[in-house]
Amino acid sequence: MSVLARSIGNAFRNKVRTAAVVAVLAVAIGLALAMLVANQAVAGKVAELNASVGTVLTVNPAGGQGFEGGGEPLTAEQAATAAAVPNVSTVVGTKALRLRNAAEVAAQTGTQAGAGGPGGQGGAAGPGSQSATAVTTSLTAAVDAGTLGNRNQAATGSTGTSGSSTAPAFSVPVTATGIGAEVDTTGKALALTQGTGLGDYTAASTGALLGTTLAEKNGLSVGSTFTIKDQSFTVAGLFDAGTAFGNNALYLTLPTAQTLADLPGELSTMVVTVNSMENVDAAKTALQAALGTDKADVSQGQRNLQTAVSSLGSVKNISFIAFVAALATAGLIILLIMVMLVRERRREIGVLKAIGAPNRTIGLQFVLEALVLVAMGSVVGAAVASFASGGIASALISSNTATAAATTGRRGQGFPGGVPGGAGFPGGNPLGGANQLLTSVTASASPGVIAGGIAAVFGVAIIGALVPALLTARIRPIEVLRGE
Amino acid sequence: MIEVKNLVRTFKSGDRTITPVNDVSFELEQGTLASIVGKSGSGKSTLLSLLGALDKPTSGDVLVNGVSLAGMPDGQLTEYRRRDIGFVFQQFNLIPNLSALDNVMLPMEFAGIRKAARQERARHLLEQVQLDPDKHVRRINRLSGGEQQRVAIARALANAPKLILADEPTGNLDEQTGEHIIELLSSLSRNHNTTILVVTHDRSLANKTDRRFRLQQGQLTEEAARSRIAAASPA
Repeated sequence: MSVLARSIGNAFRNKVRTAAVVAVLAVAIGLALAMLVANQAVAGKVAELNASVGTVLTVNPAGGQGFEGGGEPLTAEQAATAAAVPNVSTVVGTKALRLRNAAEVAAQTGTQAGAGGPGGQGGAAGPGSQSATAVTTSLTAAVDAGTLGNRNQAATGSTGTSGSSTAPAFSVPVTATGIGAEVDTTGKALALTQGTGLGDYTAASTGALLGTTLAEKNGLSVGSTFTIKDQSFTVAGLFDAGTAFGNNALYLTLPTAQTLADLPGELSTMVVTVNSMENVDAAKTALQAALGTDKADVSQGQRNLQTAVSSLGSVKNISFIAFVAALATAGLIILLIMVMLVRERRREIGVLKAIGAPNRTIGLQFVLEALVLVAMGSVVGAAVASFASGGIASALISSNTATAAATTGRRGQGFPGGVPGGAGFPGGNPLGGANQLLTSVTASASPGVIAGGIAAVFGVAIIGALVPALLTARIRPIEVLRGE
Repeated sequence: MIEVKNLVRTFKSGDRTITPVNDVSFELEQGTLASIVGKSGSGKSTLLSLLGALDKPTSGDVLVNGVSLAGMPDGQLTEYRRRDIGFVFQQFNLIPNLSALDNVMLPMEFAGIRKAARQERARHLLEQVQLDPDKHVRRINRLSGGEQQRVAIARALANAPKLILADEPTGNLDEQTGEHIIELLSSLSRNHNTTILVVTHDRSLANKTDRRFRLQQGQLTEEAARSRIAAASPA
């Protein structure tokens, strides 16, 4: 019988105890692995956020006041000026349009005549809404204004129209944005789910990229056509922005949007990407100076996300500490179990020594026995982790980002609608889909992470088993045999 | 050849100092079958532990073929036990969750003997101690005391040691099996030149050994072995 076979046999010597030990180890190992998976997932998300949002600055016309507009529009010349600022790697201009179909325009006109303008859910403050131009379309919005929008609409209607018993339903416009590159208004690459991009975004085109829900609402697919301002456009691709409002939008090339708005050369916003996070503050100051404080407002999306991202950072730290703690717990459990087993089998160790077993053989036998227990605990623990890690990561993130998101959400109320946030719909929340982005961490148990975690547990098990076994094996055999 | 020189072993028990082995000296030629008799607690098992390098003496030395055990490091002592010593413990000290065969194979495994060879030798040894073949693969805790004693003796013989130290080897055996074990030990000492030192209460066993010692209050005295005296006496 080999040492391994003897160790396996010893591991199952007392089946009830083995089951209990494996169960306890499985919980500790499962928790450790779940924390490791959560840690890796959050680390990946933090890196992604830093890479995609952390280096982006947004330039809006100075004095923009939400949907009320204000300030002089940005121009192509200002975009060229921005591009010349040190550490600026790219400048992408956008031109925002608000699209409504004929029925909605008619309903809205009637409402405004009676109510003095919609309040709705904080107003239609979208990206660059202060300079967004209303344009007709054949499309129907994919987002329902909802109960709140209609209740506010009814309230404002009743104040302005005495004797009016019903108010027309408030509707959400479709956001169309002309872009100079295949990025959204936060500077993040568009996630195309079908079709292709628009090719050269600096040239006029009849192609358009539609949000998935907007396409679905209007029964459109790649190759379908629709109209904006009686001009026919073809769906070149579909994208998924990850949010309902983000997907109630479409993208055109920048010149096309400017032509549709009859405002060639005019920009709603500029998305400026800085070459590294370290240079963001300096670039922001230089950009503001170059454009002039009376002409443009430079805002930093990263500032608004900073609290939330630092929350994720703390989740990462918490999950790492929890991983280490769970690993240490697993190690302590193994150590205590092995101390118990070694003490229980001191006489056996004495006998093995008496018949000529070297210390390393005795140590190896107990290490293998511990590894058998840990292997069983790891299998069960990995299964536990694969089910629990997603929930644990979500719970950690939601509990840690809720406060930050609420804070940054409130801060966003006073910002112009054009601040990066994608849809920028009700309330002009500067984070826009960022909350969703922050909490959409996918805790997947990658084989490498699981293998790394289990290797760490095995390492701890080897030490936990070796220490008591070797300490006992170093004793003179007679001391153990006589002690019994 | 075993040489024991002024061997002393003391223990502390509270304020008292106990000396179960007190200035013991003797020599045993290779191939001798010897016995030590004495009352319980007279230090017989302690002396056996010192000879088998399970314990270290307070003073004095044991020399095996001229090599001192006193200055030997632990690793060499382990090798000495594995290669040169076979123990038969009073309490058997077998590994309870292993079979009789596996128990006998253990010392051979530590000595690096291949599995097939050790399996064959283990079966042969178990047959020599008259353990039924159907009990070879039975777990130790399912064997009777006498059967366990036979497995313990077979294990002691596993690596064909030069010295066998046996503590009450027939204590748990019936008279017939005890006789057989005595014959086996005698045959080993004569035919295989194995030195055997037996601690026993059994006078009949002691009388069959070449040399007989008595341990009393830590002091060892030699009594002449009757069989040898009888064999040497002129008619």
